[in-house]
Amino acid sequence: MTTATTTHATPAAGAPGGPRLRGYRAGDLPLLTGSWLPGELLGLPVPGRPPLADPATVPPPASDRPGDELYVLPGTAFVRFTEVDWIHRRARLETGFAPGADAHVRALLDAALGHARGTLGLRRVYGWVTPGRPGAEDVLRAVGLAREARIPHALWLDGRPVGRQIWGMCSDD
Amino acid sequence: MTETTAVPAPRAVPADTGPTDGGGPSPTPTPALLTPGEAARALTDAPVRLTRGFLGLDPVTRNTALLARQITDREIRVTRYDRALLGYTVNPLQPRQVMVATTSTDPAPLEALLDFLAVYQRATSFVAEVPDGSPVLTALEGCGFIPGGILRGHLFHTGRYRDVLVLHTDREG
Repeated sequence: MTTATTTHATPAAGAPGGPRLRGYRAGDLPLLTGSWLPGELLGLPVPGRPPLADPATVPPPASDRPGDELYVLPGTAFVRFTEVDWIHRRARLETGFAPGADAHVRALLDAALGHARGTLGLRRVYGWVTPGRPGAEDVLRAVGLAREARIPHALWLDGRPVGRQIWGMCSDD
Repeated sequence: MTETTAVPAPRAVPADTGPTDGGGPSPTPTPALLTPGEAARALTDAPVRLTRGFLGLDPVTRNTALLARQITDREIRVTRYDRALLGYTVNPLQPRQVMVATTSTDPAPLEALLDFLAVYQRATSFVAEVPDGSPVLTALEGCGFIPGGILRGHLFHTGRYRDVLVLHTDREG
């Protein structure tokens, strides 16, 4: 079920010596489950989740689902481009960080966005953001993302629907 | 695989939906749920200006086989209502929220779909995404949809990247 994808070693965009993404391998499976919110662009662990709450998870690459691109920063985080559309040159980005990996957030997002532009040739990257995490918007703005839309009641969380936002960026051709 | 399943009549079916896209009114429109293959062919045959961006699908750049696969994978339901095509897919992270689409400029078919989803799916929140300048925007506004934001350069259409409008409306359960 777990298959290795083509390995793309990618230096962080504009950050020599920064984190290097590589293609997902079967041994990275534990990184794909965690306590972040499902589909979140900035998938940091959410403190205080009920013990019985389902953890978020993303599927490993599969031959019958060719539309996903999955990368990891080994032992730290995954980067997933999903809903990839090669004609409209866009993809939805989601990430998931292991506990204690907060220090890598900015560098990983930079690397992911650089990979989207430079290696995948995508023009547009966007993703879901659930507001409420202090400092998150500053990080997103710092890497070049902008808030584009608000959608109320988009996620069932802690017993009630909460709004989410769509953040995105377009690269100039 | 090719049978057409009739769906229960919406609660408030208008007596006259009016012309939708150049066709005459049908006195008693009967909604008919289409199979993925039928839906793909119907979207391909419909006018492009009404179908591009229909629930994120693109009948111009996808052939019917790929459209049918995307419809199946995303659990999209497409219904023919008189001469209009209506589509919806439930938000898997919030089952009371549904993304909807229409090919009609008349709000009546979409209103009937919203009533059906409110009654049979207990949906309370509805979201739509339409390309900027789409003629179906009038139908959405007629059903009470309000702007939630703009996805910049989300769609490549006739030689340039175009924005996509995000709209939403709520119905109390």
